[in-house]
Amino acid sequence: MKRERPESFNTVPMKERMIIPRQDMPEQDALLRSTNFLEVNLGLTHEQAVFEAQRCIECKSPTCMDGCPVSIKIPDFIQLICKEDFVGAAKKIKEDNSLPAICGRVCPQETQCEEVCVMGKRFEPVAIGRLERFVADYSMQHGNGSQETFDKPASSGQKVAIVGSGPAGLAVASDLIKEGHEVTVFEALHEFGGVLVYGIPEFRLPKSILRKEVASLEDMGVKFVKNFIVGRTMTIQELMADEGYDAVFLGLGAGLPRFMNIPGENLNGVYSANEFLTRSNLMRGYEFPEWDTPLYRAKHAIIVGGGNTAMDAVRTAKRLGADEASIVYRRSEEEMPARNEEIHHAKEEGVKFMNLVNPIEFISDDQGSVVAAKCLRMELGEPDESGRRRPVPMEGSEFVMDVDMVVIAVGNGSNPLISQTTPEIETNKWGNIVADEDGRTSMDGVFAGGDIVSGGATVILAMGAGRKSAVAINEYLKAKVGS
Amino acid sequence: MSLKDQISSMDMDDIVEMCINQEQQAIDLYTLARDQAKDESSRQKFQELVDMETVHKVSLKNFEIENYIELPPADLKVTNYLMEPVLKDNMTTQEIIILAAKREDKTARMYQDLADHFHFDKKLNTFFQMMADEELRHKHDLETEYENEFLQEG
Repeated sequence: MKRERPESFNTVPMKERMIIPRQDMPEQDALLRSTNFLEVNLGLTHEQAVFEAQRCIECKSPTCMDGCPVSIKIPDFIQLICKEDFVGAAKKIKEDNSLPAICGRVCPQETQCEEVCVMGKRFEPVAIGRLERFVADYSMQHGNGSQETFDKPASSGQKVAIVGSGPAGLAVASDLIKEGHEVTVFEALHEFGGVLVYGIPEFRLPKSILRKEVASLEDMGVKFVKNFIVGRTMTIQELMADEGYDAVFLGLGAGLPRFMNIPGENLNGVYSANEFLTRSNLMRGYEFPEWDTPLYRAKHAIIVGGGNTAMDAVRTAKRLGADEASIVYRRSEEEMPARNEEIHHAKEEGVKFMNLVNPIEFISDDQGSVVAAKCLRMELGEPDESGRRRPVPMEGSEFVMDVDMVVIAVGNGSNPLISQTTPEIETNKWGNIVADEDGRTSMDGVFAGGDIVSGGATVILAMGAGRKSAVAINEYLKAKVGS
Repeated sequence: MSLKDQISSMDMDDIVEMCINQEQQAIDLYTLARDQAKDESSRQKFQELVDMETVHKVSLKNFEIENYIELPPADLKVTNYLMEPVLKDNMTTQEIIILAAKREDKTARMYQDLADHFHFDKKLNTFFQMMADEELRHKHDLETEYENEFLQEG
């Protein structure tokens, strides 16, 4: 279906738009920020945001929306920025994305909306992510919160339980509360946000942003219950049969750390990225001793992996005072799945990159603490199915280096608690819940979405899955009333 | 008597039968592990291994050396440096793949050794080379699956 083009408020002539440079986001000085946990990116200024919006060439057939997993009306909100209606622009985004301040910070726009921006074919793409962040922050400071986009509907009299308060769960909660259902989010930890709170460091996503988004949902009527482990505190069957929930959404995420299965991974000083980041982020280890959780200050910390989690961990280690913090990655930088921005920031902060290197053993002292890593050098072979060239060990290339902290960041799997306590829900061989494209599981009334279904993915993909499930849950509940 | 000496005194049908028994042992092991696994995801993975070995067993019954074209797959060596897991009833899929890949690696090495040993006998040499390649192919497939699922570093 062809979309109508939004009303244009861009007063800059078309030719001149192309000579406006893409606006760089101001950021903290690298040397300074490598010693603190304050946010690295400082956000566009008011003037920069308008300049950046004016770079949009208002394509007849805009492709940017196709690149967004939740199809934000990007051309529309950009025109509202040109008009300097920043609250209106945020409201426009919120029609499709309930967490714009978060997505504006952590979405990989360079491989989504910005990758397909027509402007990017000849020039640099419009900085859509930076604009999203700007209007979301502006709206939080100057707008009227959720009330602007939300007229409370009549109660449906039906209850929905959402298990997990990560991006998928929050997206479902946002959509279903607008349908008049009673929505309760159950969270296992003592703070809400799932991976957004325990996984992403303060310097990339301040907790205050997340708390405001959660508060906004609370204002809308969503109930939040913390320290509640579905599968332990109460099973799904009990939630439905005893507590009267008509439908359940499972947005548990992929929180089970994976290890490499090499000797020495159980030594003192070897962490999973999950444990290390949870200690720092959720337990506020970076504020020890004001907060109770200690974290080791390393002489040489190595982080094994090349994704965003590895970058978060290595930059955290650096900020915690490690003399040296290195990424150890078995492929080359070209194959790294981390965002370019994160790699760039890590390098600026003094992180060392040991690419085409793979640890094969961690060695301990007589106290059981890690003191060295035995590694192999790798060379790139033929491409795998994803197109990334496969690393192959080089015979006779073993070497040993001194390390006193290791963080394993090679990925996460799904927590088996739900599959163990709810055998009615089908899982695949990786332990992920099997769900159709609308999130329906094999158990009547139970839906699932996000990383627990797809395996580890991005915040926006989890939100997209959550939104699809919300539609399906709403239809399910309506049919239930009618039957 | 060593395995090589035994083989020297066997005819081709007996040698094939010996290899079929080897495959059957693997099928029996994975079937037992599947039946004892506590977790559905582990059961699924063990069943895949049973299916893989069964296909190999059937193909051995119908093999013709003349039709074999050597096409050895690359040894990715993804699991070579990993610890060998112990077979138990609560294995993760990750552990199962490592276990199976290491078994395939050992078997491939055994057949490669036999192929090299019988270099003077074209028929035996080709047969064991074919067996070694097939085991290495299984290892390659398992390691590819391992890389795709457990080493994406995302």
